[in-house]
Amino acid sequence: MTTLLCYSRNRSTSVEALDDTTLVSTCRLQDTRMDAVVQLRIRLPELEITAAEGRFFRPRAGACSEIDTALQKMIGIRIGAGLKKIIRGLTAETSTCRALPTMLEESCHAVILAFTKDTLAAVPKETKASIDYFKAMVKKNIRLYDRCAAFAPGSPLVEGMDPP
Amino acid sequence: MKFVGRDEIRLYAIDHYRIRDTLKTNVPMLKFQRNKIVGLFLKNDRFLTARGVLDDDIFGLEIEVDIDLETRVIQALKGRWHREETPECPRAIPFLQEAVGFRIDAPDFERRVNKSVGRRCCPHFANLLIECCDAANEAVAVIQETSGAPDHRPAPRPAEKDSQPAPANGPTSAGAAPAPAPAAAGRFTSDPSILKSGFRVDLHIHSSPASACSSVGVDDAIRAAKRAGLDAVCLTDHNFVWPEKDIEALCIKHDFLVLGGNEITTDQGDILVFGLSKDIRGIIQLPALRRLVEDNGGFMIAAHPFRGFLVFDARQIGLTVETAAARPLFCFVDAVETLNGKVTEAENSFAARVAGRLTLPMTGGSDAHAAAEVGKYATVFEKPIQNQQDLLAALKGGAYAPCRLRSRGASLQDR
Repeated sequence: MTTLLCYSRNRSTSVEALDDTTLVSTCRLQDTRMDAVVQLRIRLPELEITAAEGRFFRPRAGACSEIDTALQKMIGIRIGAGLKKIIRGLTAETSTCRALPTMLEESCHAVILAFTKDTLAAVPKETKASIDYFKAMVKKNIRLYDRCAAFAPGSPLVEGMDPP
Repeated sequence: MKFVGRDEIRLYAIDHYRIRDTLKTNVPMLKFQRNKIVGLFLKNDRFLTARGVLDDDIFGLEIEVDIDLETRVIQALKGRWHREETPECPRAIPFLQEAVGFRIDAPDFERRVNKSVGRRCCPHFANLLIECCDAANEAVAVIQETSGAPDHRPAPRPAEKDSQPAPANGPTSAGAAPAPAPAAAGRFTSDPSILKSGFRVDLHIHSSPASACSSVGVDDAIRAAKRAGLDAVCLTDHNFVWPEKDIEALCIKHDFLVLGGNEITTDQGDILVFGLSKDIRGIIQLPALRRLVEDNGGFMIAAHPFRGFLVFDARQIGLTVETAAARPLFCFVDAVETLNGKVTEAENSFAARVAGRLTLPMTGGSDAHAAAEVGKYATVFEKPIQNQQDLLAALKGGAYAPCRLRSRGASLQDR
């Protein structure tokens, strides 16, 4: 029996290093209703957004056709604590485009994951050694404790640790 | 739209995953890429099924969600890992079921998923689930448009908390305010005897329900403050002004000094504000907040200015004390929180070094969101404080230091 999709979505977010002090993070969305791209330029080491551009190719009209003002609000923002709240608050001032805050969040989140990947490159391959590695990571940064199921009480990754 | 940073770019839309850029000279290497694919189909007349795959440089996972077309309630949910970060990540799978029964078009759906699936299961499964359900909402709209069927469902209940920020208050001009004259840095920051005779105040705590992220009610927080040996506690809930009469009532009820403050989110991060009774909702630009606070004779403290991320912090990406001290943020605040209970020792130490470089006063606070966290860190003042006016005067006077109360015994922060 043929089962056709009634809706499909692809979202691709990438981070590239233009040079030692500049990252470009791009979020591209293509789905049945929308085709859009948002690109942020980020300065290191401050993680400050220095440029923000984007466009909705589809739909061509409506709330997402005018997003430049909302994008310019992102300039000067640092990727860090409370970023989701800041993005939602600033974009809500000048745009009713529902998809834009998510694209900005995904672009910023990808930058964080890019550095996370660099840190995780040092994790040992062997299971016991990797568990010890993550335990040391939790001791160094107690924010990881109970952050998700892997670091919840009862997990070997937090064995012997008291809640913060 | 122009793409910055390159002289000549050719864009080729090749497939669903990648747009390839070709330069005349070098092709920049990707540091990271995340791809998410969601496909939705009608399982039968009643259910819509969304299948989502998330594949990035670190994680590989997929989920399948069955959603009731009539009620838009998640009926079934399953998921699995393909590649995970830690050997214990598979523990997350059973907790996906937390989202069964959620209505996907409710205003607080994303918040509920992040709070339940995101914390008890895994934030990446939560991210993919939100993506699938957002696409599902669009899919239902398309189905209704193409079939011409009206939506007879009852409207979703309002969100439990106000999740939509109101427009920012104050002018949005980004013009820099003149740098405030810093209060004198603590005069006895290395004199441990101050811990015995000084007045200890936890300058930064959150209570429920004023702060949605807190799990401790205000009465329990105050009791915890008394048990911790504090002399006073400041209620600094997120973008929330405690009415003066409520604060007075709490002082009488608990026979304990309770003071009011506010943690306000600006475009440059969170600021602890004292002496401002105006309710700020949404995001305010820092210069605008500075003007408001100055007009009202208040005081601003940069809260946890260098809070990093889960597995790395700002130093690991090259941030130095010199670079950090040059941030415009520090031109607009009167003091820096250098002992905060929610950041690492290294991040606190870095904040102290930056504040020291700028000769800005330093404060301590637990940033407690649970009873057990109250009093972990505090600020010890030279003279006793009896009311809000005393607190403001003391903050501006500069005669105080951040201190640890419970970790390694009571001690002042090392410089």
